[in-house]
Amino acid sequence: MTFKHTLAFLMTLSVTSATAEELPQAGNAWFKAAQDTLAETLKQQPNTDTAKNVIILISDGNGVGSNYATRLYSGQLEGGYGDDYVQPFETFPNLALVKTYNVNAQTPDSAGTGTAIMTGIKTNSGVLGVNENVRRGDCTTIVGNEVATLNEVMTDMGKATGVVSTARLTHATPASGYAHTVDRRFEYKLPEGCTQQADIATQLIDAMEAGTIDIALGGGRRNFIGKDITDEEGRKGKRAKGENLIARAERLGVQYVWDDMGMALAKTDGTPVLGLFERSHMMYETERTGEPSLAEMTAFAIKALSAKGGDQGFFLQVEAGRVDHASHASNAARMVADGKAFADAVAMADALTDDGDTLIVVTADHEHAVAFNGYCGRGTNILGLCMEIDDAGVEHTGEPALAKDGKPYTVIGYLNGPGSILRKDRNWNGGRPDLTQEEALDIDNVQQALIPRSSETHSGEDVAVYAKGPWAHLLEGTLEQNVIFHVMYHAATQ
Amino acid sequence: MKRREFLLNSGGFAACVPTVGWADTSPVPKLEAFQSKMKHGAFRIRDLYNRDQSFSDLALACEGQRVTFRGYMTPPIKEELAFFVLTNIPMAVCPFCEPDLDWPNDILPIYTNRIVWPLPFNVRITATGVFATGAFTDEETGFYSLARLVDATYREG
Repeated sequence: MTFKHTLAFLMTLSVTSATAEELPQAGNAWFKAAQDTLAETLKQQPNTDTAKNVIILISDGNGVGSNYATRLYSGQLEGGYGDDYVQPFETFPNLALVKTYNVNAQTPDSAGTGTAIMTGIKTNSGVLGVNENVRRGDCTTIVGNEVATLNEVMTDMGKATGVVSTARLTHATPASGYAHTVDRRFEYKLPEGCTQQADIATQLIDAMEAGTIDIALGGGRRNFIGKDITDEEGRKGKRAKGENLIARAERLGVQYVWDDMGMALAKTDGTPVLGLFERSHMMYETERTGEPSLAEMTAFAIKALSAKGGDQGFFLQVEAGRVDHASHASNAARMVADGKAFADAVAMADALTDDGDTLIVVTADHEHAVAFNGYCGRGTNILGLCMEIDDAGVEHTGEPALAKDGKPYTVIGYLNGPGSILRKDRNWNGGRPDLTQEEALDIDNVQQALIPRSSETHSGEDVAVYAKGPWAHLLEGTLEQNVIFHVMYHAATQ
Repeated sequence: MKRREFLLNSGGFAACVPTVGWADTSPVPKLEAFQSKMKHGAFRIRDLYNRDQSFSDLALACEGQRVTFRGYMTPPIKEELAFFVLTNIPMAVCPFCEPDLDWPNDILPIYTNRIVWPLPFNVRITATGVFATGAFTDEETGFYSLARLVDATYREG
């Protein structure tokens, strides 16, 4: 179509308000797909029923960028280019961006963000279940500054409650559901003279005794037994000699399991369950053996909580904790593998529940200092070297794009971390090492970074929240992170 | 699925190396059979283990052989030692020196002929030595291991 003809056509459109189907691009596949998406969106009706069940799934450190990497990884696993792949939660009808900063930190930590999601208030970095009036590490400041967690609130409503994580159950995000502490590091012991609160592991068993946690599945066994006690895998605990919180839980009637076979045999009739599948954090998905997957733990928890909650329903927090750990190690390969395991858990939760009565919220607590290089052609392996765009085709050329130093570079990079190219023994100067595609795709590859740090950092960038089910439509726009609590609470009480 | 087995603490340190794997009486494979595992002239520590954390066929084949592994040097447990720990991933701080630090999954103790000159934690190295197995507690450091390289040298790259 010539310019004159196009102009004439557009002028005609402006006069007659032609339908989209009459546009010259109407036959284009992208155009048709977008029209289908629009049609589906127009059908959506807000669900204003009461949410019987509420499930929040948090992928720790899985901000918009990290999620992009996992999307491409998952799509490429299936043989596609990856960009056009749709993760289970990316089909959810409602979406918002979330501001994650803590009261005293532009760059948040998981304790502050977990508290925002689980209590409805922002607080300081490093503290759990308390407001910003506490001083981190000072037990005397906790008095009068504790706030209620969503597990406590939902228990009062008669719902069953649970927490599932691939991290230690005493780690920040899972602990944000039940603990009140002036320091997230008080996982198994307290500083001398701290009498105003219990350690986090003790608080979990206290919560199980009180009935504010019915199901707890994750890692961190060492924090529940004493130094003189050997666990099922031949390892000692970290608590004071003689202390055994697992035995205490069992005396309370809690079922205890420590491996995948034990969980498979455990009752899901509403009897409380404590699963401690690893001494510290559970294994990365790439090495997982003898431990249930996040999806399997999610399915178990939903079944057990449904039995316990009955008509009153349940509240469940699920965390993919090791997405964060892999990024801290600047190891993108394990970050996306655990990200895929998280997506599988979301799909499991969705499959086992009814959109009509279950609010499912999917989010991250914060992002990492991850970034993506360009300009890469379609089909470039998200974990590999950035390959040149093919001007005559769709798929990349197979030739790595080269930087000014003549060397190739990976798509994914971190701004800081153990992959720094700077060397202490050279007065923190350095240069980029050569990198082959084979090295880049190695499971242990550490992404290159500039700023040297022992552990790559979080970033303050926004994360997304996806939702479906009753009142999910309230999650829209750009929100403060603590608003997520209020939407979940509202959905369960209307 | 077989559950992982861990070794018991002995002394101050315990290396996360296999406790099982030698019961099989089938012929020990030749090291030459594992050339495909060798990248850039070196094996990776992870290749020493099966998924259940027992020793792999490669580990069996390496026994008594002079072999090269690639990884990173962890910060030294003590100064002036002819010893360091090779890891698959860089560790900025000595993970064996603080009780609250988590150990990396894949490590290999390296016993060198000379006092180790520490290299930066983020510089990739190779270590070449004789692969040896069997329970061993280092009297000087208390480091307990079931697999190690002895008579070793190391270099960047």
